[in-house]
Amino acid sequence: MQVTFKVYRKDPEKDGKPGRSNYTVDVPDGATVLESLFKIRDEMDSSLAFRCSCLRGHCGDCMVRVNGSSRLTCTAKVSAYTQKGPEISLDPLRNVPVIKDLVFDWDAFMWNKISTVKPWLEADDATANGESIAADAQMKDLRKVMSCYHCGMCDEGCTVLPVDFKFLGPAALTKAYRFVFDPRNQHAKEQLKTVEGPKGIWDCVHCYEADEHCPRGIEPTKRIVALRDEAFRVGINNEKVARHHKSFAASVKESGWLDEGRLAIESEGLTNVSGLMKLLPTAAKALVRGKAPLPYMHAKRPGAEQIKKIIEKGEAENK
Amino acid sequence: MQEFDVVVVGGGASGLRAAIAAKRAGASVALLSKSHPLRSNSAIAQGGINAPLGKDDSAENFANDIMAAGDGLCERAVVQSFVEDAAKEVFWLEHMGVPFNRDKDGRIDRRPFGSNSRNRSCYADDRTGHMVLTVLHEQFQRLGIPSFEEWFVTSLAVDGEACVGVTALGLKSGKLDAFAARAVILATGGFTRMYAPSTVSIGTTGDGQALAFQSGGHLMDMEMVQFHPTVFPKGQGLLITEAILASGAQIVNQQGAPVQIDKSSPRGKLSLAISGAAQNGDGSLFLDLKPIGKEKILSSFPQTNELVKSVAGLDSTKDLIPIRPVAHRPMGGIETTASGETAIAGLFAVGECAANGLNGAGRLAGNTLTESVVFGKKVGEAAAAYAKSSAKKNFPAAKLADEEKKLDALTSGNSAEDSLAKVHAELGRLMNEKVGLVRDAGGLQEALSGIKSLQQRHQKIKVRNGGRIYNYELTTHFEVASMLTLADVVARSAQARSESRGAHNRKDCPTTDNVNWKSHTITKLAQGSAQIDKKPVAN
Repeated sequence: MQVTFKVYRKDPEKDGKPGRSNYTVDVPDGATVLESLFKIRDEMDSSLAFRCSCLRGHCGDCMVRVNGSSRLTCTAKVSAYTQKGPEISLDPLRNVPVIKDLVFDWDAFMWNKISTVKPWLEADDATANGESIAADAQMKDLRKVMSCYHCGMCDEGCTVLPVDFKFLGPAALTKAYRFVFDPRNQHAKEQLKTVEGPKGIWDCVHCYEADEHCPRGIEPTKRIVALRDEAFRVGINNEKVARHHKSFAASVKESGWLDEGRLAIESEGLTNVSGLMKLLPTAAKALVRGKAPLPYMHAKRPGAEQIKKIIEKGEAENK
Repeated sequence: MQEFDVVVVGGGASGLRAAIAAKRAGASVALLSKSHPLRSNSAIAQGGINAPLGKDDSAENFANDIMAAGDGLCERAVVQSFVEDAAKEVFWLEHMGVPFNRDKDGRIDRRPFGSNSRNRSCYADDRTGHMVLTVLHEQFQRLGIPSFEEWFVTSLAVDGEACVGVTALGLKSGKLDAFAARAVILATGGFTRMYAPSTVSIGTTGDGQALAFQSGGHLMDMEMVQFHPTVFPKGQGLLITEAILASGAQIVNQQGAPVQIDKSSPRGKLSLAISGAAQNGDGSLFLDLKPIGKEKILSSFPQTNELVKSVAGLDSTKDLIPIRPVAHRPMGGIETTASGETAIAGLFAVGECAANGLNGAGRLAGNTLTESVVFGKKVGEAAAAYAKSSAKKNFPAAKLADEEKKLDALTSGNSAEDSLAKVHAELGRLMNEKVGLVRDAGGLQEALSGIKSLQQRHQKIKVRNGGRIYNYELTTHFEVASMLTLADVVARSAQARSESRGAHNRKDCPTTDNVNWKSHTITKLAQGSAQIDKKPVAN
């Protein structure tokens, strides 16, 4: 079958400007996108740069966008992408600095972010007593998370990273989960503190795109939520979003609904003068437009006592 | 120029373990790898990592199984030191975070695997290599060891008798640089990409073996190439761990009827039996995973299920999967002592690129990862000790300029009709047909002349892409050269060994000749060509 590959190009040793090359190749039935790229490089354009290593879905190195969706080229069959016509577009992942053609900067995209979470277990060598004893259920959860082959698809799908590239992203936070929940780790709390800080777990907007994208079903969003719960559980919750959560829950518990004025003030922190000052313009506007009744009173809603009981029941069950 | 006590070349399990050990022994260490360490070939190891942990097991049992699989070519002293350290290293990995499957007491579970006589393959689902590699890389990062990722080593710097560093091309920067070192550890992996199909990653091209050989190092038992018995052979080839056999999978014919094969034979014998059965009227053979049960396939072999689907387009819980033996891992490599010393002072080798006598003529299933960590540690420590005690030698002043010239010469000139991919593909076919699972004198002679003509073609091929940044055509040129150099040695060693033993099956010499051939083949470069000697097994 004749297929035209429209490939993103950039050469840092020439003008460094992005462009596109079209290559029409005869590909055999069952061929993968990676095999087609080899054919192009060998027969048509030896300057074409793309990464790959294991060739069969183990390692995650060959991730690019095939017709707009991120895929491993080694397992992507050409025939799956030509149903609408014999053309396939190939691009580097979105929101990533590109070095040459389909080779992008994995360091900036993912490895550096993973390094930030100090990605190792702090453990002693002590082996005299053999292995540490652990339930398989606990190890099974870690095996699931550690089956991550660092393909970057979760970060590629993340809706926060395009807005804030400094966000640690689902890949690094999922890596942190592996350490925080490993019973053998002696520095779990340190690692939790790191990801609880700025650009960490509270910046996730739980859009669940990472879960949709992960080809291994690791569910990064659920891991991030688990890290948030753990942060609350061990009392690491000094960040603004954590205060926001607390205030939100307290307000609903006390009055049956949300006290937005209190939420804004408590989220900023009662001693955070500069943060509170920033609220003033919004408060002033709200007053002018009649959105904040004066004098400011937050009344209980009907049925507030029942809502309180529901919350207390939930809190008791969680203990 | 960068300077370190120890430079490790290769970022797989052996290289990472060696780097960690050398660093902890007090050396300044750098690691160079041509791909990111987590993309290395160790990641694709599946079935397990052996250690004699069971109450019914012992170091002695383990040693006996290794010696049996090695079919007379194992070095007993090396085997002995290996089996004594295996459990320690597996426990170390466990403490560092490998999430091994556990038994009901919460201890590391072990499963039957290949010709191990006891259940001793510790495992993490069917992703054992991936998990071990991940944890080694974590501990490597913990020590803050400088990691030069996507740096391709182009030469060893040998000053007089000693190795004093390497030159390497940074793929991202496009710049050549010199790395001076008191000791260099090669941990570059195997060379099975000279076969097509094979079970290995694209970078498994024998770079380290070729560099050592051309610099005066010796290669040992290069004719011993293990074929993996259960590989889906289409496309790039997909290895299906033979741990599934011990878990109940059947080898069947097209009609789904089981074929009479002893599933617990060593790999070499199992591969021969499968290939023999296919030729003797059973036609294509298949794996039937259904007897394992869908639930257990999904829980114990999740990756097998995933890849059979994505690579082969089959459902491992329902469909029969076509298989045949495919070239897997060499037993042969750079001749070393148990501490990794080579014939060149200051040059060490470990893992699949090395041959220290552990594996003899056949590697026991589940030993590759154990070998990586046991010897990775030993060799890392030995290299650090050597670096501490040796006098500093100068990196040859002209070396970097010479390498620049070499690269310039490769990238300037007329582009030929011929291509690296064509030469590589023909080499793969030739090795598979003539130097494959079964060989004979005539075929080996044809292979040698074929390899020679491929070498001549390769020398004429210029790199058409004049750039330096991520120029994979340029690195492929080096890799194909390495494979051609080693293919010649593999075929010559196979020609010299006029007997059948372990992974080496000669149709024209079908018996094992313990009188003349209880010896290793040792190949060295003499006046520009490979010269083969025998070295008797020590025990």
